[in-house]
Amino acid sequence: MKGRSAIIAATALGALVAAGCGSSGSSSNAGGTATKSCVATIGMEGPLTGPVAFLGQEQLHFAQLAVARDNLANKTKISLTQGDTQLNPAQATTVTQQFTSNSKIVAVVGPAGSQEVQAVGPLMARAGLAFVSGSATAAALTTGKYPTFFRTVSKDSVQGPQDANYIVNNLHPKALMIVDDQEAYSTGLVSVMVPIFKAAGIKVDHQSVSQKVTDFSSLVAKVTPDTTVVVLPWQVAANAQQFGRNLAQQNKKALIFGTDGLYDPKSFTIKGSYVSSFGPDITAIPADAPIAAAAKAKYGSFGTFGPPTFAATHVVDEAIAAVCKSGQTPSRANVLAQIKKTNQPATILGQPIKFDSNGDLVNGKFFLFKINSAGKYQLIPSG
Amino acid sequence: MAFFFQELVNGITTGALYALVALGFTMVYGVLKLLNFAHGDLYMIGAYIGFFVIQWFGGPNALTIPVPLLLVIMFVLAAGLVGGLGVAIERFAYRPLRDAPRIAPLITAIGISFFLENSALLLFGAQPRIYNTPQFISFSSGIQIGSVSIDAVQILVLVLGLVLMVGLRLLVNRTKVGRQMRAVAADREAAEMLGINVNFTIAATFFIGSALAGVAGVMGGLLFNQVTATIGFIAGLKAFTAAVVGGIGSIPGAVLGGLLLGVAESFITGYISSTFTNLFVFALLIAVMLVRPSGLLGRAQLQKV
Repeated sequence: MKGRSAIIAATALGALVAAGCGSSGSSSNAGGTATKSCVATIGMEGPLTGPVAFLGQEQLHFAQLAVARDNLANKTKISLTQGDTQLNPAQATTVTQQFTSNSKIVAVVGPAGSQEVQAVGPLMARAGLAFVSGSATAAALTTGKYPTFFRTVSKDSVQGPQDANYIVNNLHPKALMIVDDQEAYSTGLVSVMVPIFKAAGIKVDHQSVSQKVTDFSSLVAKVTPDTTVVVLPWQVAANAQQFGRNLAQQNKKALIFGTDGLYDPKSFTIKGSYVSSFGPDITAIPADAPIAAAAKAKYGSFGTFGPPTFAATHVVDEAIAAVCKSGQTPSRANVLAQIKKTNQPATILGQPIKFDSNGDLVNGKFFLFKINSAGKYQLIPSG
Repeated sequence: MAFFFQELVNGITTGALYALVALGFTMVYGVLKLLNFAHGDLYMIGAYIGFFVIQWFGGPNALTIPVPLLLVIMFVLAAGLVGGLGVAIERFAYRPLRDAPRIAPLITAIGISFFLENSALLLFGAQPRIYNTPQFISFSSGIQIGSVSIDAVQILVLVLGLVLMVGLRLLVNRTKVGRQMRAVAADREAAEMLGINVNFTIAATFFIGSALAGVAGVMGGLLFNQVTATIGFIAGLKAFTAAVVGGIGSIPGAVLGGLLLGVAESFITGYISSTFTNLFVFALLIAVMLVRPSGLLGRAQLQKV
């Protein structure tokens, strides 16, 4: 018993000494070299586990890549703190509360989903914490409700009409089925697209299915012979692959038109399908070759979720660097002010990044791909 | 009418899968009175084993062995390895808590579930693994009756599911180990006094139940085409529901519960609404439970006071 007490006492003493050393070390860092070496921490919120973890992991990898490259280029010491939201608003709220109470965090990259932005927006605003999402596209997010929110992708009110008009004018369906996945992202797009279809005289069968469902056989049985297009504004590509498989299984000829989440050449390969995405295929942009090569070498193949998050991280990194250059120490207020001034003419996305007063990307666009007979994604003009 | 039969086929196929997972759930509950929440994750591990067997033999586009042999290897390996994993879980996580208050193994089961899910995430990554079943089992090898399609995978699931359910029934009713299982389920202490090796019997129950989950996992992979670390949650939830509705502890009840759940889901999606499928399905199941609180084929427990 005595021995154990001695060990506990020694451990406690050691911990106190270590804490004292640590604290003196970090304070000297913050006070002495912070402005010189530009030290800051960024939070990164994404679905790092759960059903869409592939998406969150890709975003995390590209955020890490951006921080590493920007630290080298700007001679900054920015570090990334991860928070797993699982694409769940409640989980995102918990992570955000951790971030807002961590005074070292000066800005946040993410979260991924529109439903999460809606949940965390008021918390971020109260903390004066800027957050830049690389994938939240709901139109309602940039109406001024969330004053510290920014995004590097365009919004559903651009994508919805663009995609719906493409379907009406180029695919000419008499009847179509549109299936939401019961998430804000998906239902938002559906609400924009359905009136356009109806106005064009198309018979619309609106269905809804949880993102967690992986068997669509009973839903596919409802696809009538005159239904030539099925619109899937979903976030899980593998689910759409299964939907396509169920269509083939029941000899249904309808083609699939999907949005952002379906851009995944590994998981979604139904030939003849269309996928509209907020992110370009950066492997086809010559200026992005070094980034694409670095990402592939370090993390393997990737889709369109990573590059917009790279852009979002780069926006935050550049804002921090600009603050340091002006002789200030990065804080939430000055980083937020600097992000508002963002004006990057050339970016990884092949389009300029500049925000309007509500944090929306100015002149943002979407990209339309068709999966050809070889199973490859081909960029096509979408008008 | 074709639509009705198409939905019926879809529902029975999904239901057969639920039933197979529910069987393991109900067997474990029968002998240990334990709600094994890790059971759905054994389904997930089985699905991953099936996926890696396909990759091992050249991948879906370039198989190096005949498809029937591939399927046999997938099912046998999944059954053996997942069965073994089930035994290991029982030995190291549940057996030490056998005499502890009931809440302790329940929490352990939830912990094991998270452990398996997160281990799979760590080992296999977050990206869904795609079986690509149509590449090696063609839809055209199924049956077409009018406009009702029953593809080869659905036939495989139905036939194998039926064989396993009948086999399990025979095993439990006609073999020595089956009698031992029933004896342990009825009264563990009395069974021990009669010379039955209780530890062996419980381990055998875990092996068989987990093996069925492993086989169901491969079937799920072939049928639904994708595997992720999180598919076990829904599978476990559906199996639990099927087992309770059928009468937890009852083997025919688990089969009936699984089929009822699958068919109800299919018809409600087809005829009422895909949006509110779960609402209607669970309303129906609650109604069943109100009429028969012990489940459709369950027996009311007499409590001595």
